[in-house]
Parts: sequence; structure tokens; C-alpha cells
Amino acid sequence: MTFTIVARCSRSGQVGIGIATYSIGVGLYCNGLRANVGATMTQAFVNQGNNTLALRLLAKGFMPARVIDELAANDSDFAYRQIAVIDREGRAAAYSGAKTRGYSGHEVGNGYVAMGNVLAGHHVVEAMARGYEAKPDESFERRLLRAIEAGRDAGGQVGNDGHLTERSAGIFVYGAYDHAELDLRVDLHDKAVDELRRAFEEYELYRGYYRDRGNNPRDAVPQDVFVAGLK
Amino acid sequence: MTYSIIGRCARTGRLGLGITTFSLAVGGRCEGIAAGIGVCKTQAFPNRTNDPLGIKLLAEGFLPARVMQMFAANDREHDYRQIAIMDRDGRVAAHTGSGTRGWSGHQMDTDSVAFGNGLVGPQVLAGLIAGFLAKPDDPLEYRLMRALEAGRDAGGQGNAQTHKPERSAAIKVVDRMDYPDIDVRVDVHPTAVEELRRVLEEFKLYEEFYRQRGRDPSHAIPQDVFVANLNARRQALAGARASRPAS
Repeated sequence: MTFTIVARCSRSGQVGIGIATYSIGVGLYCNGLRANVGATMTQAFVNQGNNTLALRLLAKGFMPARVIDELAANDSDFAYRQIAVIDREGRAAAYSGAKTRGYSGHEVGNGYVAMGNVLAGHHVVEAMARGYEAKPDESFERRLLRAIEAGRDAGGQVGNDGHLTERSAGIFVYGAYDHAELDLRVDLHDKAVDELRRAFEEYELYRGYYRDRGNNPRDAVPQDVFVAGLK
Repeated sequence: MTYSIIGRCARTGRLGLGITTFSLAVGGRCEGIAAGIGVCKTQAFPNRTNDPLGIKLLAEGFLPARVMQMFAANDREHDYRQIAIMDRDGRVAAHTGSGTRGWSGHQMDTDSVAFGNGLVGPQVLAGLIAGFLAKPDDPLEYRLMRALEAGRDAGGQGNAQTHKPERSAAIKVVDRMDYPDIDVRVDVHPTAVEELRRVLEEFKLYEEFYRQRGRDPSHAIPQDVFVANLNARRQALAGARASRPAS
């Protein structure tokens, strides 16, 4: 039970993941992003070795579709995994194993994969894709966020006893560097996508300040002065 | 203004970082941790490239003290950084630049280094270390959590006039694999250390279920069933407490 967008921005070359799920602390598993290499996510019944292996295979030069073949050959429980792989040129491949639970599926678009399991239906995946595509001129992170909000609004996850709330969520973007450009999480909340939007809008106010403070400490105003200026 | 602890579990070799600060989403700027290699964290006025560079240099075989020298040579604003580095054997180097603001310093002890800036005083570092050392047999994530709580209880960030709340916090632990073992976060919250304790305690209830579900999916129960069982156990515990005679 998870819905996710994995994407590469064709304008900026950034790679990113937006994710929401009933599980708590999902950000723990979102280690599949590397600048100038690509983006990958394994979910449903997670094989935690997959993301780092897939990134190394991409870095060696394998195509996304071939990377998924290699993950298949390496995993006796492959049918329980749901996987997206995107390379630095935006080529994408995805897999939704037959043993993943509930409605489970994916849509591979131009430079992105929308995927999920234990969903209200395929329309959740479609809504994520449309959400991602809705405002192509917006910043990459806003489009990722819009995708998971659209997935939520389309009904999100449905378990045996009805709708399952999003208890954790995250948004992750890598650009030119080997550190994250954005890595924002909600680990435990009863409306994690709403809370992620709140955290994102708040963090957006600080991002430039945090970057400049590190790059040019001599001219940095103290953070309490910066915060006072926000009000 | 931040206080942090890097720690190592001598029994297991696990490595970890606990951090809290007034800044938002600090856990999203903690890339410098790698199993079998070490931990590197730059704070105060951080340059984001230090930590990944530090991990690469440790992996090449350089000692923490030498990595710190290279940082100094690579960065004309080194005086504004506060940096701690620990390698997989527990060797430590730390640097508190003269340009960091407020009360600022670091303290090393067994398998640990505490460091912070914009603090009420050295008692915060003493608290971090005391918290970390209090229960050496506990899993590393609990020792880091206790350290942060003791740092907070010793006064945390601010000065004699003003206390600065902890608005974000994180604990990361690595254990042999190239993905994190424990990685819990609070990104925007008015009392982030308390909230991190809540997230950690809740996550620990799920930790084994999540691990097992990935390793052996054909025998995994659905998560909503797991949660229903968990809630039933909680209710039974609460019932047992309520029926116990008052002492």
C-alpha cells in the first residue's frame, strides 16, 4: 500500500521521488536517487538491496529495462516487488509483481513512472500521472508533490476495511550534486500528504537562506533575524 | 544553532548520528553516514559538499584527522564550519570554527563525539555525552535518542535570555548494508525532540514486521492486520494497567 511518482525533469535534469503510504517512516526506503545516474524505487514487499544495486547497474551503463531484468534474476521473491527505474536521460521502466496486494499497477510516461499497490484502482495511478503533467512549467518538486496529492484525491489506498490513510510521505530531489537538493519527510502523521504540503511550503521559505548561509557565511544574517523577517 | 552526536556501538560496529536544531528538515542534510566507513557531519554554516567528500576520503583509507586537514585546505570558509568525523574504528576528529555563532564547541568520549553551536553552554555537550553513555547495552538508536533528550534537558539552544526550540531532528543508524538501518525524522515541529521520540518508539513496533515482510513476503500478513493486532495488544496492556491496584 503505497503510491509513488519517480521522475526526471527534462528541463533541469533533476531526478526525484514523491511517495505516500500507510506504512510509517517510508523515507527510510527512498535511497534510490543519484545525480547524473538516475532514480529507482522498490516498494510493496521491499527488497532493501534493490535500490542501491539498481543505481550501480545504471551507473555501469545498463538500460532501465535491463536493470529490472537483473533485479528479477537476483530475487526469488521478485513477484512481490513493485519497481520503477529511470535513467539520466529519462528512459523509464516499471514492474508490478503479480503477488503485490490489492489493486497494483503502474503507468510509464515521458520521463516518469507513476505506480502503486493496495490502491482504490488504476485511476489513482492515472491521477498521479495527470497531476505530474498538469503544470509542466512549475518547479520539479511542486510537480512531484502535485502528483501525490492527485493520487490522494483520487482515493489513494484501500485495504480490506476500506480507505487507508497516508501515514508517511516524502519528496526527494537530486540535481548536480551527490547530496540531496530536497529531502523532506513526514514519518508519522494521520494525514501525511497534507502535512508534507505544509512542511514543503514552510521549507520553501528557508531553502535559499540555508543554501546562501553555507556558501557565504560571512554575510549570513542570524536565523532568528531571518525568521523575524518572514513574519 | 544545532546539537548533534555521532556514536558507534562497539559491540555491533553500527554507526549513527543524532541531530536536532532550530532549522527545518535537518535530517535532509545528513548524507555523511556509511556502514563500514564512518560518519561525517558539517553544521553551523554548512557546505553541503563536505559530508559526501568526507565519506569518500574515509573510504579511501584516510584517518579522520587527515580528512579534517583536507577539509580546511579545500574550503576558504572553514572557520565558519563545525565538523565531526568518526571512522568505523571509532577514531574521531572534530573542528569548531571561530566563526560559528553563540556558545559553540565539541566534546569526545568513548565511541562518541558531541558537538553544537548556538548553545546555552558546555552543559549541553556534557548532557549529550552522558545521555549516550548512560545505557551502553541499549541499541545505538536509543542511545542517540537519549543523548538528544539529555542535550535538550541541559538547556539546548539559545542563551541566558532566549531559548530556541528544536524544530527538526533526526536519527540515522547504519549496519553493514549500503542502505540505512534506522532513519527516523521530524522535519517541521515545535518540539521536535519529543516528536522524534514518539516516531522512534512507534517505528520500533513496526521495524521487525517491515524487515520480515520484505525478506519473506509469502508469509507476511497484511499491514492492516498487523496494525489491528498491535492495537489489540495496546488495549490489553492498557486494560492490565487499569486493573492493577493503585500503589
